[in-house]
Amino acid sequence: MKDFNLILSGIFFTLAASFGGLLISSEVQLGSLGRAPAEEGGPLYPAIETGLAIQGRQVYLELGCVTCHTQQVRPAGQGNDIAKGYGPRPTVARDYVLQTELLLGNHRNGPDLANYGARAKSDDEIHGHLRSPAAGSTMPAYNFLYTVDKNGVTQPTERAQALVAYLKSLRIDYNSPEAKLKQ
Amino acid sequence: MSQDYYRQAHSSPSDKGSTLPVRLFFASALGWLIISSVLGLIVSLKLQTPTFMAGCEWFTYGRLEILQRNAFTYGWIANAIFGVNLWIMSALARFEFKDSWLAVCGWLGWNLALTFGLGAIFLGHLNGYVLLEMPKEVAPALFISFLFAALWPSVAFVRRPTGHVFVSQWYIIGASFVFPVAFGITQLLVLWYPTSGVLQALIHSWFIQNIQLLWIGASAIAATYYFISKESGRTISAYYLATVGFWTYFLFAGWTAPASLLGGPIPVWIQSVGVTTALMMLVPVIILGINFFGTLSYSRGFAYAWNNTTLRFVLVGMVSFVVSSALNILFSTRSLNAVVRFTDFTVGQQQLVNYGFVSMVFFGAAYYILPRVTGSFWPSAKLVHLHFWSCVIGGLGLALHLLICGYPTVNSGVISYYYIPVIFFVLLQLVGHLAFAINSLVMLFASARNTNDNPHA
Repeated sequence: MKDFNLILSGIFFTLAASFGGLLISSEVQLGSLGRAPAEEGGPLYPAIETGLAIQGRQVYLELGCVTCHTQQVRPAGQGNDIAKGYGPRPTVARDYVLQTELLLGNHRNGPDLANYGARAKSDDEIHGHLRSPAAGSTMPAYNFLYTVDKNGVTQPTERAQALVAYLKSLRIDYNSPEAKLKQ
Repeated sequence: MSQDYYRQAHSSPSDKGSTLPVRLFFASALGWLIISSVLGLIVSLKLQTPTFMAGCEWFTYGRLEILQRNAFTYGWIANAIFGVNLWIMSALARFEFKDSWLAVCGWLGWNLALTFGLGAIFLGHLNGYVLLEMPKEVAPALFISFLFAALWPSVAFVRRPTGHVFVSQWYIIGASFVFPVAFGITQLLVLWYPTSGVLQALIHSWFIQNIQLLWIGASAIAATYYFISKESGRTISAYYLATVGFWTYFLFAGWTAPASLLGGPIPVWIQSVGVTTALMMLVPVIILGINFFGTLSYSRGFAYAWNNTTLRFVLVGMVSFVVSSALNILFSTRSLNAVVRFTDFTVGQQQLVNYGFVSMVFFGAAYYILPRVTGSFWPSAKLVHLHFWSCVIGGLGLALHLLICGYPTVNSGVISYYYIPVIFFVLLQLVGHLAFAINSLVMLFASARNTNDNPHA
């Protein structure tokens, strides 16, 4: 094995094999996946994000939230995400078809957020958590997203409002053709 | 392939042209290593005390962690790879590097682009994919700089005066080729012209496995082969298996990508392919283990290795390689992966690979190469010992701590005590890196005390 061209061709073949076998075949299977109704004749899911939520997604990205929070729920039997209450069903490929930049994450210092919008009770609760996380949490306080007005009342900045809108938009509490909600 | 040729050829690069770029690559690698160690310490302090430096957006945990990872990988590891691969290939191929200024341009471009990219992350311009966080505009600069900095080993191989080949050369050629291809394709399909939805995650996982195994891993394997044979003066044990090991390693590595997405929103058949090929990685890992350990296994080879500065580091790297590979294969199985996925256990696995194996081998390589490119002795043997023990205890201690205690951390209420050993081990690594940096920089920048002796710490 002394010939440079032979070595290079072999390496190219190994790369092309995994690229073709994994990625091109996935594109064939998933490339045309679109939204689907949760029930016949109903609205299509995943829902289109509002403008504010799209801005909030940018804030989520800028603050590096993806370092500690995932947005994927594994099926029962492959981890205990559903038992932990992260979501009523596993996430499937269709849940992400609208996302041009996926924020799946691969490490959890905090809980999964795929269905956070359905878990959070109110805007105030989310703002409260961002400003003052629960005791014992490793999450820092994001006080720089808030200002104090003349009357000494704390007000969320536009970025905080956008972030909360984004977090509320994260939901998988609807039926998908590939994953039904728990009965 | 001929080991006789190998023994004759690699006394040291006869040519002086490659010494300047090698010195520059090592100097910048050291700088980035210190920066990433300091960032690592801040990040671990923030985990223990979330209020630490929490008032300013720039110092948010998420950003600093990303900065640390990028500085470590594209700063320390990449520069070390450029330097070590160039040096080894120049030595093996008797390369006369007449246009070394081109590699210097690559060095400059790479480190400037990296500085710019990390600055952008610091200011909040970042992407959500591990090791693709730098703004996409930086990618073309990194890509072109890579071509200038890292393709010289291939040129050296093509122009070598004799037709002989040593196993390290295959791995170096492979590594030099895989990075630009995988990096370029992934940048295009994930950031420039993004595919939709989970396909991005699949492409990204393919990128990570290629970078981790076929660029970083292959370069460290090349250096391990080189130094265990060179420093022990022995031929590689069961050398005839090395070809099989090389091709199976390159063939299976990319396919293991979906094993890092088990349980994720991707088709089950793809996950099964990942698990199966991860298991098949046993073949190259066993062959590499036989080659590495077999070479040192007779005539008190391990005792000799322990008493040789370079081989002592490489020995730690070899053990880490086998253990981390075994863990990666074992925890790619569905049932075990389900327990540890998303936890600090996986960070421990990464630590064992990137620090225990890769960094240790490159530290060892530096102890061999730097005296030869500077013409100096190591200024302080004590600092060498301090470096070794700090990094072994700090680096492997951190990996063991994360592997043993890391999996139940999420929502478990044990957080308050869990991060204290992390801080201790990270601090110890920083001490070791400072000792290494002081020793190296004195050598690199002090007026060379040229000597014709064979300088060795």
